[in-house]
Amino acid sequence: MTLRNLFLFLSLMLLAPLAAAELVVVANPRSGIERLTQEEVANIYLGRYRLLASGLTAEPVDLAGDIVLKGRFYRALVGKNLAEINAYWARLVFSGRTRPPHASENVEAALQYVAARPGALAYVDRARADRRVRIVFELSE
Amino acid sequence: MPGKFIMHSQRWMTLLPLLAALCGGSAWAAEHDEGAAFTVRGFGTLGVARSSSDQAEFARDFSQPSGIKGGQWSGRIDSVLGVQANWRATPELELVGQLVSRYRYDESRVPRVEWAFAKWEPDARVALRAGRIGADFMMLADARLVGYSSLTVRPTPDFFGPLFFSHFDGADASLTWPLGGGLLRGKLFAGAISEKTPLAVELWDTSGSSTRGLVFDYLDGPWQWRASTATVKFSHGIEFARQLAIRLRDAGAAADAAADALTVAGTTTRYHSLGVVYDAGPLQVQAMLNAIRHEAGYLHNSRAGYLLAGYRLGAVTPYVGVSWWKSKPKPYSTGLTDPVLNGEYDFIMATSIADQTTYTLGARWDVLSNVALKLQWDAVRGSAASRLPVLRSQPGWNGRTDVVSATVDFIF
Repeated sequence: MTLRNLFLFLSLMLLAPLAAAELVVVANPRSGIERLTQEEVANIYLGRYRLLASGLTAEPVDLAGDIVLKGRFYRALVGKNLAEINAYWARLVFSGRTRPPHASENVEAALQYVAARPGALAYVDRARADRRVRIVFELSE
Repeated sequence: MPGKFIMHSQRWMTLLPLLAALCGGSAWAAEHDEGAAFTVRGFGTLGVARSSSDQAEFARDFSQPSGIKGGQWSGRIDSVLGVQANWRATPELELVGQLVSRYRYDESRVPRVEWAFAKWEPDARVALRAGRIGADFMMLADARLVGYSSLTVRPTPDFFGPLFFSHFDGADASLTWPLGGGLLRGKLFAGAISEKTPLAVELWDTSGSSTRGLVFDYLDGPWQWRASTATVKFSHGIEFARQLAIRLRDAGAAADAAADALTVAGTTTRYHSLGVVYDAGPLQVQAMLNAIRHEAGYLHNSRAGYLLAGYRLGAVTPYVGVSWWKSKPKPYSTGLTDPVLNGEYDFIMATSIADQTTYTLGARWDVLSNVALKLQWDAVRGSAASRLPVLRSQPGWNGRTDVVSATVDFIF
């Protein structure tokens, strides 16, 4: 193995966990939703339109306790950092228009919330999406 | 003035430790697992600004009785503190109350109820609100006190300055539906304004003026389009204009038309606006136009617009903008030969002339995810006749001033 190949091998080893940690949006299996588009996910999370095709009202969940994951989600979804997302919500909340997403402290709490409510949605690493939820959108980072 | 500013500043500063304790930026907007039914949030701005001209006072909008001038730093025009409580009584029903302290018509900062309404959302497409609600006359206008939500230090006075009220008591109804890949939202509102507006020589009571309007927004990915129209029918006239009208009528029938032009009570003003916002990743561009049409001859019709663009580089977003506000004077004259009456009439008619362009350069630095620092320079370049946008203009006013502002905007 040449030095160059060794470097490549080590790089891949180091990057592998990051590449595996793909972000997905999950919904309750009883939501009646198989897939969502990026536009639909953005409309739900930005409070623009929360009516699902199945007729349920979407209840998005934010990960308040994991700002790294939350930051990755909004960067991948709309290209915004958390300060910009906060500024966006400041405008809507203080003009009394739309409710921001529900906040869960960690991924497990978010999954429990989604499992308990037919209209709820959350974002998690793909590896955390278990049988309680259904993957409805994959984010490309 | 400097003493007054220091006093205000000290009062504000005592709030900072409290605010710091309350600040939990990353999770700011979200409703938590616990206590989701009741939330209390707040916003504020600590700002200082100086305006170079000593011939007129620069103010943020028509609600402020005094502005800033003569190169002195002041915290008067931009500092604000607001607290809002939301209570979700049921999944469909929410009650919202907001208290705001800012420099107001009576020169105090006594907090007042900015919003107090019930919102009912029977499904995700429909929202009905009743109570005291924000006047959504122009795009972004109902959040214009929340400095943290915007790129610039203040909404450009050329465009938003003529909005002398921020809320009304009444109701609105909005409906959102998907259309052509985007979302179309229509909103109707109606109610009564409860405001007092400081003019140079008197406090104009505009409470009880009726308002209604129609707003359309179209949201498509990074694009947001807006068209709106709204009317205000004034309940009360302006006393000094009324007094002058009486004297004109006494002077002769020739002046009747000129006297009629001074009547404001019972007349209607129409506000039309078009706007577009492009907001994609680090780039943000806003372009808006408005046209304001007054039935009252004394108030000149005007057009205004602005263009604003910002690009985020890391945590800093530099921005540039240009705005303009131009009125079209109505050609009234008394038809009399009395030089005193003619002089007073022409002076009054000249007070509602706007003719200026403002160039803006600034930067917003998001130091925390709920605190932003802003530094801004506005170059106001108008004609000497442009007296409406400023307060207490002196004979030497040449329509030009440079305003430098620095603010800390936060939410908690």
